[in-house]
Amino acid sequence: MADASLILALPKGRLLDEALPILARAGITPDAAIASDDSRQLRFKTNHAHIDVIRVRSFDVATFVAFGAAQMGICGLDDLMEFDYPDIYAPLDLGVGKCRLAIAARTDQAAPFDLARLSHIRIATKYPNVTGRWFAERGVQAECIKLNGAMELAPVLNLSPYIVDLVSTGATLKANGLKEVATIAEISARLIVNRTALKVRAAELNGWIDRCRTALAG
Amino acid sequence: MSDSSAKTLLPEGLRDVLPPDAAFEGQMIDQLSRSFAQNGYDLVRTPLVEFEDTLLSGVGAAMGGRIFRMLDPVSHRTLGVRTDITTQIARLAGTRLAAAPRPLRLTYAGPVLRVRGSQLEPERQFTQAGIELIGAEGAAADAEVIAVTSEALAVLGGSGIVVDLALPTLVNAIVGRVDNGLRAALDHKDVAQIRSRGGAHGDLLAAVTAASGPIDAAVSRMASLALPDGARRAWATVVALRDALRESAPGLQLTVDTVESRGFEYHSGITFSLFAAGSQREIGRGGRYLLPSGEPATGATLIIEPLLVALPKAERSRRIYVAAATERAQVRQLQAAGWITIAGLAVSSDQRADARRLGCDHVYEQGKIVPLEKKL
Repeated sequence: MADASLILALPKGRLLDEALPILARAGITPDAAIASDDSRQLRFKTNHAHIDVIRVRSFDVATFVAFGAAQMGICGLDDLMEFDYPDIYAPLDLGVGKCRLAIAARTDQAAPFDLARLSHIRIATKYPNVTGRWFAERGVQAECIKLNGAMELAPVLNLSPYIVDLVSTGATLKANGLKEVATIAEISARLIVNRTALKVRAAELNGWIDRCRTALAG
Repeated sequence: MSDSSAKTLLPEGLRDVLPPDAAFEGQMIDQLSRSFAQNGYDLVRTPLVEFEDTLLSGVGAAMGGRIFRMLDPVSHRTLGVRTDITTQIARLAGTRLAAAPRPLRLTYAGPVLRVRGSQLEPERQFTQAGIELIGAEGAAADAEVIAVTSEALAVLGGSGIVVDLALPTLVNAIVGRVDNGLRAALDHKDVAQIRSRGGAHGDLLAAVTAASGPIDAAVSRMASLALPDGARRAWATVVALRDALRESAPGLQLTVDTVESRGFEYHSGITFSLFAAGSQREIGRGGRYLLPSGEPATGATLIIEPLLVALPKAERSRRIYVAAATERAQVRQLQAAGWITIAGLAVSSDQRADARRLGCDHVYEQGKIVPLEKKL
């Protein structure tokens, strides 16, 4: 089984830059072109003949791994929570891409954020599933408006009084006249594995998980 | 939407199966039933639809969210469509076959329906084929069910079969009650979250989770952990099953998942999932459960749809075009020799073109079998 091909899905963007050194210490070095934004390539060779890396949008890493199109991947906990695919295991916290998923409102908003008094709330977010679940657990029905970016505009332009978005320093919120009112989850990147692949190729994939764990400790 | 597309559209998760796939499916189910019957499992057939309260009583109690319901115009009672045949077999074993000698070995095959598919497995109708072994406790019974099922898969040409054992009761034996957050962390094997949500047991649960994998490594990792007594006794059943399988089916690939519990709603002991190298999905599952009377039982259910993807397709018999007005005795002779005969119904001006059009690679002309040359 050692020679069967292994596909590793990596997210585009900042998380990629933080993940590559960890992979290198674990012994997987993709072609240098992967770090270049100019490259139109989607699939890259690595220093192992049977391991290839694909570079996709962070949301799509979870999908490729869930369906077994890629056996392993690196993905933010935010995306994992949003899709909640049953067939993904996330055995390793890579400790990079740290931020939090938070609820924010306008700084000048008069009404306090009081969950006990709310029956319904309107929220603009890229994470409708996580948001809906979080509020439902607290007895509030969330009406989510799906946006793919520039969430901060929603409260300012009265699209919705609240947003749920990733916050790292809070500088973007502040610059747009918003404040954080609650935290939904602390986020960091996970090494993820497809369930079936982990069963059928147990020794091989557990070996890579162990090497990544050692790379983090060292 | 045009009229014709409205007529071809099926409800989500339902589909037609066309030739040759339907034939492969039929052959697969026949072969599985034969393998099970050879091991002493007797075929039973249960209805597609039952009274809702019967379907959801006993072992079926956890299935309420998954069944289609309808009103019976005759009895004015609510009916439910079965979503799992195992629960029906459990009902049979506890009622009509309560007096049958134990251990009771039963096999079944048929379609089931569920309200919702998942994104990964969108089918709402699929076909189950399986066995149940009722009235037997212990590793020998679990080992028999696993060995018989994996042998049946091997007969079908399955390769790279992996049996992933699990013990859904183990986590409860360590922590008692499991809240939703911890359950989600365990389901995704997110060790970081397990540690933070597991409270006083966080580190132990993280170590138990990390022990999952090939069985021998898992057994030695688990042996080094300080498990509470109840958990240690429960784990000993997994070790006993490994030992039993090592003797009866030494070639079988075994892994273990120490914290899996999803989809094992009515199970009370060791459970397992089956995987094959060629499938991106689980191909079957099973495990130990209790009948309402307290009688122990175990079983395995294969799911035909992913099996069709995972297993090599059986060779199709060769098809031969038989000219119109050929004597039936000759046709039967061809069939006895393994041919599938496609009869010409009218005398054709270009018999060979007709034969090709109907997927034949031979024609039967004037008492002779003539191969058709391959068209380029």
